[in-house]
Amino acid sequence: MTYKLFKDPLGKNDAGVILDGHTAIPFDPANVDYQEYLKWIAAGNTPTPADTPNA
Amino acid sequence: MAYGTVNADVIGTSVAGSNLGAGNASTLKNRIINGAMVIDQRNAGASVTPTDGAYTLDRYQINASQASKLTVQQNAGSVTPPVGFKNYLGITSTSAYSVSSSDYFGLTQYIEGFNTSDLMFGTANAKTVTLSFQVYSSLTGTFGGALQNSGRSRTYPFSYTISSANTWTSISITISGDTTGTWVGATNGVGMSVVFGLGMGSTYSGTAGSWASSPYFSSTGATSVVGTNGATFYITGVQLEVGSSATGFEYRQYGTELALCQRYYWKITSVDDGGSTRYVCWGSGSAYSSTQADICIPLKVDMRVAPTVSYGGNIYLQGSFGSTTVSSIGTNYGGRQLVFVRFNTSGMTAGQGLITFTGSAAGTDFLAGSAEL
Repeated sequence: MTYKLFKDPLGKNDAGVILDGHTAIPFDPANVDYQEYLKWIAAGNTPTPADTPNA
Repeated sequence: MAYGTVNADVIGTSVAGSNLGAGNASTLKNRIINGAMVIDQRNAGASVTPTDGAYTLDRYQINASQASKLTVQQNAGSVTPPVGFKNYLGITSTSAYSVSSSDYFGLTQYIEGFNTSDLMFGTANAKTVTLSFQVYSSLTGTFGGALQNSGRSRTYPFSYTISSANTWTSISITISGDTTGTWVGATNGVGMSVVFGLGMGSTYSGTAGSWASSPYFSSTGATSVVGTNGATFYITGVQLEVGSSATGFEYRQYGTELALCQRYYWKITSVDDGGSTRYVCWGSGSAYSSTQADICIPLKVDMRVAPTVSYGGNIYLQGSFGSTTVSSIGTNYGGRQLVFVRFNTSGMTAGQGLITFTGSAAGTDFLAGSAEL
């Protein structure tokens, strides 16, 4: 399982994560996939940083 | 200017005033979505071996503390559904697994708070509800389940009996509304959940017929479906309604039921037109660069939350550059009404317009959005 961050449309803040290249999860607190990502982070894992904005 | 006379006596003469707001309307009375097991967007009738937390038929999640102990399929075993139904959710045990105290196997539907807040659980005005369903099993005995709040700090284990194997049995369970505890109100969170136990350890089993403050998923001593290899558990006609007795099942038009499901999940895939599958167009956009395509996808209905967007198999982008295959998904600026997704690919020129297709493999070439509870 790999998570990679992506930036918001302005390229400033992290706006979500890509799971294994095929699943895009927005940072919506009520999204259960985002909640699972937070558990993964809480377990000590680190996501791949986002690409350079709009690269 | 006179507009005529308003007859203010209608309520008093044709609708008993005491019934207003009683939640006993004859339409949209069922708080369960897909109670007749008609919608199966994810698997289209195929058998699956779900992992813990996976959704099967629309709105139904499998809870499984151990992997590969059961399969789920719409109309598994092809038995004749009960009168009035065409579909059922079929569970088949794939081993004779002896559940430990901490094991759990169940089938759950989470109900959104917007659809349960009128039940007034957690207050002195909590309403009595009745859960009804049709069930068929190769096993006989006492089975169980539970009604739960979102935090599972308030649970009501229930039990029911299947006396005849391989026979559809009508079950009705009346539950007095919980007057205490914390229940989510009119929000998009979990208002309550209904669980059907398929094999529950003692940690998650409680005394049937009363409210408890423990995370119970079923009743003590309930039959374990996963405990018998090949055992079947089929269910349909699931209804949760206000009142102390079960009324007739609320049949909904297919389009209505599908739309209700699509608030939580949608899937776009090719369609089998009697032996010939075809590509399905699902959006349009433009090339942001030679390797990135931006696509806006209007959602079919307002989703519960900004959805997770995923794809499987092959999806294609087509424009004046020809056709190219998506290699990965790059962003998802999700909203509840529309999502904006960037796909990674190659061979385009910035600014080119494009349209999007799923491949022709029904079910495996797809785009999906999930906002499940």
